[in-house]
Amino acid sequence: MVKIQYQFKRSTPLRFLSHLDQQRLFQRAFRRANIPVAYSQGFNPHPRMSFALAMSVGLTSDSEYGEVIVSTDINVDSFISRMNHVLPSGLEIVTAKICGEGVESLSASLYKSDYQIRVKVMPETDLGELAESVRMYLELPQILVQKRNKKGKFVEKNIRPFIESISVFPDSEIDHVNVKMTLIYIEQQCVKPEQVLASFNDQISAVFVIDPTIELHREKLLLKADA
Amino acid sequence: MNNYIEKNILPLVTKPITYLGNEVNAVHKNPSPEMIRFAFAFPDTYEVGMSHLGMKILYGLLNEEKDIWCERVFAPWVDMEEQLRQHNLPLYGLESMLPLNDYDFVGFTLQYEMSFSNILNMLELGKITQRSALREEDEPFVIAGGPCAYNPEPLADFIDLFVIGEAEEVILKIMAAHREWKNTGGNRQDFLKRVAQIEGVYVPAFYQVNYDEQTGLITAFEPIVKEAPSIIRKQFIEDLNNAYFPEKIVVSYTETVHDRISYEIFRGCGRGCRFCQAGMIYRPTREKTVPTIQAKIKALIDATGYDEVSLSSLSTGDYSEIEALIKNLVCDYTDGKVSISLPSLRIDSLSIEMLEEIQKVRKTGLTLAPEAGTQRMRDVINKGVTEENLLDTVRTAFEKGWGHVKLYFMIGLPGETLADIEGIADLGQKVVDEYFKIDREERNKSLKVVLSTSSFVPKPFTPFQWMGQNTQEEFKQKQRHLKASIKDRKISYSWHDSGVSFLEAVFARGDRRLGSVLEKAHQKGCRFDGWGECFDLQKWMDAFVEAGVDPDFYALRNRDYSEILPWDFIDTGITKDFLQSEAEKAETALTTPFCPDTCSNCGIMEFKKGWKCNG
Repeated sequence: MVKIQYQFKRSTPLRFLSHLDQQRLFQRAFRRANIPVAYSQGFNPHPRMSFALAMSVGLTSDSEYGEVIVSTDINVDSFISRMNHVLPSGLEIVTAKICGEGVESLSASLYKSDYQIRVKVMPETDLGELAESVRMYLELPQILVQKRNKKGKFVEKNIRPFIESISVFPDSEIDHVNVKMTLIYIEQQCVKPEQVLASFNDQISAVFVIDPTIELHREKLLLKADA
Repeated sequence: MNNYIEKNILPLVTKPITYLGNEVNAVHKNPSPEMIRFAFAFPDTYEVGMSHLGMKILYGLLNEEKDIWCERVFAPWVDMEEQLRQHNLPLYGLESMLPLNDYDFVGFTLQYEMSFSNILNMLELGKITQRSALREEDEPFVIAGGPCAYNPEPLADFIDLFVIGEAEEVILKIMAAHREWKNTGGNRQDFLKRVAQIEGVYVPAFYQVNYDEQTGLITAFEPIVKEAPSIIRKQFIEDLNNAYFPEKIVVSYTETVHDRISYEIFRGCGRGCRFCQAGMIYRPTREKTVPTIQAKIKALIDATGYDEVSLSSLSTGDYSEIEALIKNLVCDYTDGKVSISLPSLRIDSLSIEMLEEIQKVRKTGLTLAPEAGTQRMRDVINKGVTEENLLDTVRTAFEKGWGHVKLYFMIGLPGETLADIEGIADLGQKVVDEYFKIDREERNKSLKVVLSTSSFVPKPFTPFQWMGQNTQEEFKQKQRHLKASIKDRKISYSWHDSGVSFLEAVFARGDRRLGSVLEKAHQKGCRFDGWGECFDLQKWMDAFVEAGVDPDFYALRNRDYSEILPWDFIDTGITKDFLQSEAEKAETALTTPFCPDTCSNCGIMEFKKGWKCNG
């Protein structure tokens, strides 16, 4: 049994995959690529594979991580080339490595995400003023948002510790802006970039138009080991 | 258009990935002006359509031709339809996103009558003129095939040409005719006249139907151009073993209704159940060999990565070498990572042992279809299953640990009495009794028996094609009676009906006068009639009134054997005399044997020279 950790990209053609769709896709791709995936024991064996994060529908990413346990030793270069040969356009494995025993699980080793967001803004938004407002937003000692807990009750959560930086850039279209954001994982918890934009709207001024056409892209996902 | 839809529309709808056509094994070609563009249209959702075997076969077959690009289009779900209409965007073929009206052909597969309103809706969304008589020269040819094409008449106003029977060979002849026609520079009429001469092709515009003014019955059905034959002969593939079957099939990203490889092991069925249209129209029975099946399944698994294969046919247990096949397949996939499933098994204990061999997993649901509650009724429909068969099967199943049994029945069968309805409840009770005969230690801890009924719809080309359907009130009464007859709390009863089967009966045996009804129902917003959340019987009833068409005339009336039926011009190879003799035998509950045991002269051997069933 060997654990392979791989980094992959997801681009526009496949951004609408759900997490489950993507799991099924990888499972079938492993089979097409003849990767000797190990199966769990029991009545209903399932392939031993997992992802660091569940990607939301619409998200593109340059940096995602997955793990698969294989039953026989396999060369990582061959793993990469065989997988990329069978993966549909829109998914690509970038790197892979064999993990030794006792390595922390992927979800426990998350550190930071760099996002690039293209979002519609209210008419006549001035980029200079927006940058200033963002600076003010980040100076807030705490940023409370309403969040449903596991029991379904609303509780307040301070999201400020999860935000490292936000900056805004112009877009080729006048009614859009680009936002770069670095968000931090703390004890496997995080905040979503569109939640940050929504809380900016609440706390400072309603600038961002948050609807399903927002374009979210993860540029980098840092693991603790990388830091 | 591509980019606009991707950015502005797909984020707003459910399952956006199903509108992109970029799945594994989807075919993309570089279009050239000479290329024939074919949109294979399935008039239901992506999830339903992608489970359909016929589409996979024809998609692969057409795309083997260098100068043909076959793409797929499904009925967009209501949210996507709303977006397309709001943005005034046309429905498009998935692979190239070409608007539907830019194709040379739009080919609909007709799997069930309740999808007809979706056809009109898809034509409208694709900006194609709905009525074929009004279609412009540069519009696509709208063609159709599949089981419901055996009575094409309700769609005669909208479809340029139908393929009657198995399309694998005919479709290529139609494509060849299109190439030739393009070179001659002819018009639409010229093309239709050309293809009307291909055996198995029906061009409804070339036929004239006359009706009796008083009774509304058909008095004549005749071709009006010399190119159109008066009888259309159904097509079937003689050598199924060597017939085309794709090695690469499109692998959906989302979960489809049948999310697995479905591999057809034989076509046709020799059981002769009298209610079953498929059992008649797909005759003769033709099998693939065990080595062919093994090799093809291997190739399909390699090309798709699926981990489940379903051996499909009308009655999988009737495959002549079923035991050898299963043994070999189990041996091919001993690692247990590919599972084999057997749909459409008949009721006998052999079935349970086969299930045991291949399904080592959960023993939850076992579904059986006795179809009728009493032996008399099962003989009427020629189901050929006895109570003993059924009880043996459930006993074996209970002994092996199953605990949940679902039994399917039809109500409203010919000559049915309340005693036959009570028989359904009795059979349920006997199944419960079998469970309690098993030792407490051996049997499953919980028992659940579900009785499920559907309302019988008489279909063309079956022995019951002349029979009037029960009224909605009769069905309700029978459902109430059955519910009241069930005494045991281990038995539950479920039924489906909300007028759907009535409408199905109208369109299954309707004629071309229903065209205006379909049109009006479409204008009232009917679509996805097979979906409970969309079906609205009242809209349909209003459409009948406005069109001046009485639906009872089609659904409820007992027809005379001498009547000209709307589908009489089609020759399926099964003679009308045979169907009538079967109907008469049904009246006295006389059964007809399984084909391989005794030939009952249905007519299929005379239909094609040199054809011999079962060897």
